[in-house]
Amino acid sequence: MKQSEAYEALGSSKNGLSEQEARHRLEIYGRNELPQQTFSELRVFLRQFNNPVFVILGGAAILAGFFAEVSQSVAIAAMIALSVALGFLNEYRAEKTVQDLRRNVSIKAVVTRDGKVSDVDAALVVPGDLVSLYVGDIVPADMRVIEVKDLQLDEASLTGESFPVEKTTDPLKLERATPQQLTNYLFMGTVVAHGTGKGLVIRTGKNTEFGSISKTLARPHPETEFQIGIRKYGNMLITLTLFLATGIFVLNALVGHPVVDSLLFSLAIAIGLVPELMPAIVTITLSQGARKMADSRVVVKRLVSIEDFGNMDVLCTDKTGTMTEGNVALDSYRSLDGGDDPKVLCHALLCNSAVVGERVVGNPMDSAVWKYAINNGERDCVKPYTILDTVPFDYERRMMSVAAEKNGSVLFITKGAPESVLARCTRREVKGEGEPIGPTLDSIKTRVSEYSKAGYRVLAVAYRHIENKPSYSVDDEEELILQGFLSFTDPPKKDARQAIDKLRDMGVSSKILTGDNELVSVKVCEDIDVPVKRVVNGADMIKMNSNELRGAVEEATIFARITPEQKLEIIKALKANGHIVGFMGDGVNDAPALYEADVGISVDSAVDVSKDAADIVLLEKNLLVVSKGIEEGRRVFGNTIKYILMGTSSNFGNMFSAAFASVFLPFLPMLPMQILFMNLLYDVSNFTLPTDNVDEEYIQRPKRWNIDFVRKYTLFFGPFSSLYDFLTYGIMLFIFAAPPALFQSGWFVESFWTEVLVIFVIRTRRTPFFTSRPGKWLTVLTIAAVAFGTAVPFTPLGSFLGFAPLPSEYWILLVLMVATYLLLVDAGKVFFYRICKF
Amino acid sequence: MPYPELFTWWAATITWSIVFLTLVSIYLYIDSAKRRRQPGQKDQGTGKLVSDFVFVWILLGLLILYILSIDRGSAVMFAIGNVVVEVILLAYLLKNKAPASE
Repeated sequence: MKQSEAYEALGSSKNGLSEQEARHRLEIYGRNELPQQTFSELRVFLRQFNNPVFVILGGAAILAGFFAEVSQSVAIAAMIALSVALGFLNEYRAEKTVQDLRRNVSIKAVVTRDGKVSDVDAALVVPGDLVSLYVGDIVPADMRVIEVKDLQLDEASLTGESFPVEKTTDPLKLERATPQQLTNYLFMGTVVAHGTGKGLVIRTGKNTEFGSISKTLARPHPETEFQIGIRKYGNMLITLTLFLATGIFVLNALVGHPVVDSLLFSLAIAIGLVPELMPAIVTITLSQGARKMADSRVVVKRLVSIEDFGNMDVLCTDKTGTMTEGNVALDSYRSLDGGDDPKVLCHALLCNSAVVGERVVGNPMDSAVWKYAINNGERDCVKPYTILDTVPFDYERRMMSVAAEKNGSVLFITKGAPESVLARCTRREVKGEGEPIGPTLDSIKTRVSEYSKAGYRVLAVAYRHIENKPSYSVDDEEELILQGFLSFTDPPKKDARQAIDKLRDMGVSSKILTGDNELVSVKVCEDIDVPVKRVVNGADMIKMNSNELRGAVEEATIFARITPEQKLEIIKALKANGHIVGFMGDGVNDAPALYEADVGISVDSAVDVSKDAADIVLLEKNLLVVSKGIEEGRRVFGNTIKYILMGTSSNFGNMFSAAFASVFLPFLPMLPMQILFMNLLYDVSNFTLPTDNVDEEYIQRPKRWNIDFVRKYTLFFGPFSSLYDFLTYGIMLFIFAAPPALFQSGWFVESFWTEVLVIFVIRTRRTPFFTSRPGKWLTVLTIAAVAFGTAVPFTPLGSFLGFAPLPSEYWILLVLMVATYLLLVDAGKVFFYRICKF
Repeated sequence: MPYPELFTWWAATITWSIVFLTLVSIYLYIDSAKRRRQPGQKDQGTGKLVSDFVFVWILLGLLILYILSIDRGSAVMFAIGNVVVEVILLAYLLKNKAPASE
């Protein structure tokens, strides 16, 4: 299809759509989003049933309906409904929060509408829109190419092709073309690797090629350490529950309890053991953390990464924008004579990858050259030239070249890292003439070193006259004439030292991964007073085997002159050494490292592909912002761990003692419905756990998920709860001569008090526990839950559940007993934390 | 005594739960000592062991209190005993107050 036909078919033009028409089309075609990116209430609701506990509960309700009492069946069904409603409401709010936060870092598209160019949310792009594309942009929809300037697309996400594909505007005459053959077509989700262009949107959202196969293409993030930990913990609980529930059923049946009662009781115990609210609690905790982090200008894109963000102990970051202000500016363009030379500037403008249109887009140094030329009226020098061909930059050569024609003669210009360019120069320019470089090479290198030591980033410019030919390659980068140097400034950031110190105090070591040379990097560190232990440069890294690299990554502070692939190797080596690694990057080539790191951090000003690959996006590129995010991540981890430790200690202890007692008592220690009711109340009391305070000393150091610690915690603290349950059995049986209903009431209240109140002890490592202040809402809801549970035996609900009112003497004993229990657990903490570190 | 046939079972159960807790403590203590022991390091003295296991001695004291008071059906003895133990525990906790920062 020709361009004109495409415009006509889509009712568009070179001025794009009108705003009114775009709004109309948005209503017809919907938002330009893939189904899995959209937020669905129904999906959140259905997810509540994706929980084995509800299957068990449903089974229990049916069994009770058939074999026991209908009222019991109705009660269990009501509990299912209540649990689903609670879970749905909380998860809905949590997801909504995250959805709203994600909108802060939505991918933007540069769209022409009514002849005006503006940035719009990519989700609002409609068929017929005219979209401009720049290096690093993610193509927002399927488009017909309208305009190109060396446009190359990375289509690996769609076709698996690792080399960029060149795009043209030419019409194609192909039937049933494969995506690879469609060179005048741009696919949603692919990335602009080089050049610029414009495209006319043909299809959006799920109608795009990417949308139709996105499920199979979705690149899964590796499981976070937290997710692995939660999975292992779940497996541990399921194994325990299966053993215990089966054992209880068999033993109860063997000692002569009715089979149906035994089955319902063992099912209730199983339900009591499984922390069915864990997914909801984890989601709520994470979303609350995400909301707080947003206040610190940190936007969480992938919720589960918060825990790893808090627990990371190594942060790899680039230098620009973190150690320096990130405002790269051209300082000088000197010839070898020492003075500024307009020819050096002009050649740097010609040999330049920045795209100059409505804005200057490209790598910081190329952009800085253009910005200088525009601001100082020097841009016209390039007008007489025509660029015949470009040999793009790559990290192996560290330079780029162009062939530029003027008045029939061709100049081959090369610009790049001084050591790379110098290696290809045989002559140097002196007063317009080329003289052998050999005798002065050392002094030239010394001059470059001096620039670098002074903190300047330096590029060399060289050229040669060359014949006119159809194409040029890296082979032409030889026998060059060195013309001069460009020096750039990027002032050190004033608060960088403070941020590095803060991170170090929080147990996070910072490593600088930069493409700059080591002298500049060391100078920047000196300027901001950051100690440098060791510098490893890319060339040294190539010679290292994996063991040497694993050693080097521990010692080095700066990795200079490294390629994107080497960034990946460094991250892998750090992970292999057992670190939780964060990587902060904003460049086109940072995406693989952002994926590989445990926590990929990008910034709002980064290229689309980098933002897309990141887990966390900073609205401000500043390490102090990172440290605030880490603190919040640690709070989130702390509160999640509290829920897990609660469930595995007091809850587990209670169910264990109930199971044990059921075998020896002539009646059930608690009816299945009573256990389920207690479980529901306990769950409700836990809903404010995500809002709890976390002790300052807890967030001082990174924590690691440690299943061995959780096992030991269960083994040690579980029996405390069982001990006090057994004690209650003794009091009810031998002091109050309790019949079944009274016994069950006494144990229900004691069990509920200990199970719920112990949170005040478990939530902190401080002893005595009351030296740590709990969260306001946790305190209020816990006390309310305890009051409600205490009142239940005296209410009609209590009668319905089979409870009986308790004598007043019991309450005195209960208060004393629970006080001893809480203090004993606190004393147990002194012993436990002395020997078990976490 | 009501339910006399259950007393032996109950006493055995509560005794076993405290013995279990003591055994777990010993296991964790030995496990931790093994991990931390430096080559050539000497064993810790008896005094250190006694002080490290204070809460186990309290547990054993509680066991005696609970079995005796319930055997006699004495709520008063149970209440007073608990108050005494709480004072001891509180003193222990204040003496071993965890530092504000680790």
